[in-house]
Amino acid sequence: MRPLFSDTSVASVRLVVAVTFSVATIFIDSRFDALTLVRQTIKTVLWPLEQAAYVPGRVSSELIDWAHSYDLITERLEVIALENERLRTEQLKLQTLRAENAELRRLLGVKERVNERLLQAQIERLSNDPFVHRVTINRGLLAGVTEGRPVISADGLVGQVVVAYPHAADVLLMTDATHNLPVQVTRTRERAIAVGVGRMDRIELRNLPDTVDIVPGDLLETSGLGERFQSGIPVAEVKEVIRAPGQPFARVIAAPLTPMARLSLVMVDLAEGES
Amino acid sequence: MIFLVTWLSTLFLIVIPYPAWMTLALPHFGFLFVTWWGLMRNYQLSMTLLLIASLPIDVLYGTTLGLHGLLFALIAYALTLLGPSVRQVNWIRQSLVVFVVLLIASAVSYWARTLTGQSPDLMILVLQSVVSALLWSPLRWFYDVVADYAEGLRAQRQ
Repeated sequence: MRPLFSDTSVASVRLVVAVTFSVATIFIDSRFDALTLVRQTIKTVLWPLEQAAYVPGRVSSELIDWAHSYDLITERLEVIALENERLRTEQLKLQTLRAENAELRRLLGVKERVNERLLQAQIERLSNDPFVHRVTINRGLLAGVTEGRPVISADGLVGQVVVAYPHAADVLLMTDATHNLPVQVTRTRERAIAVGVGRMDRIELRNLPDTVDIVPGDLLETSGLGERFQSGIPVAEVKEVIRAPGQPFARVIAAPLTPMARLSLVMVDLAEGES
Repeated sequence: MIFLVTWLSTLFLIVIPYPAWMTLALPHFGFLFVTWWGLMRNYQLSMTLLLIASLPIDVLYGTTLGLHGLLFALIAYALTLLGPSVRQVNWIRQSLVVFVVLLIASAVSYWARTLTGQSPDLMILVLQSVVSALLWSPLRWFYDVVADYAEGLRAQRQ
């Protein structure tokens, strides 16, 4: 006769308890922000382990750099000198444009934007989960990085800080399937929501009217709605507009201007937003 | 002690930066860790400890907290039931069993991720299961070595 409380039934009870606990945790974490502190604590405790894990990679890249150091430095200096010349010319143009912009804003009665306060940060690691587009940067609460800060690169928007730890921060890339971003088309000022689809090279605008004036090549920028991102940050370039016959909505596919898979340096916008 | 050392080794394997092109073909080290415990040391495995150990793995992968706890519990339960018979067979058959169990876990992962707003690709999850099953044998050897080392350390202390 089979015993009522056999080993298997004890294991089954344990399984039911574990599954219930896990499902409850998933529900709480995905619907509320109640577990941020748990995440922060765990990440802070794991920080030394993460630093130790980067050592082999850093040592090997240092060794490779050391082996090619002279040629590499000469080559890089030439590139930097050229880039510097170009940037100096651009800066001259920018100064004129800033003055012009300030004058136009004054004439229109629009308040001046708060100066951007950008903090440079290095990407330490990408999530190894193929469906999670998150990166960890080497600046955290101690450097003034807090949740919700926009993260940009030299090419355009990267994403936003979702969890800040003392020495690091997790940045959710705009290509993550859970990321939504209010954007506008630079040419027509048409507003839309750009959603990530879980691919590093693609975001999509959905539920746009079929008659919307968007063509491949149009640039998308942040619209400033949602009060998280300043308006005017370059986001993506429209690659394809799909207008299916009989469907009321068009689908727009765009490629992020920032090469997400090859990111190494980013900047965190620490400004308080527009005044 | 053995749990701590094997768990830390697993975290280390998860944290090491891999090239972006490898992300799709990486084995799921967390699953293989639970597979080793479920098959080789199930008599020492505690479900509570497993749930606690899964939380840092969620944090490192950036997934919703609790996701790996759910998957670990299912894998551990399935392998604890299968353990005695699977331990006897050769590595090819063991890898096949591991593949089937991880495939079921991947299906649950697909379901849970979809519910939390992600858009997972089932084929990538299947590919991960294939790679994990293929790497089961070397990883099993790795965990055996780590466990022996941890046992040696404990014996030295005593």
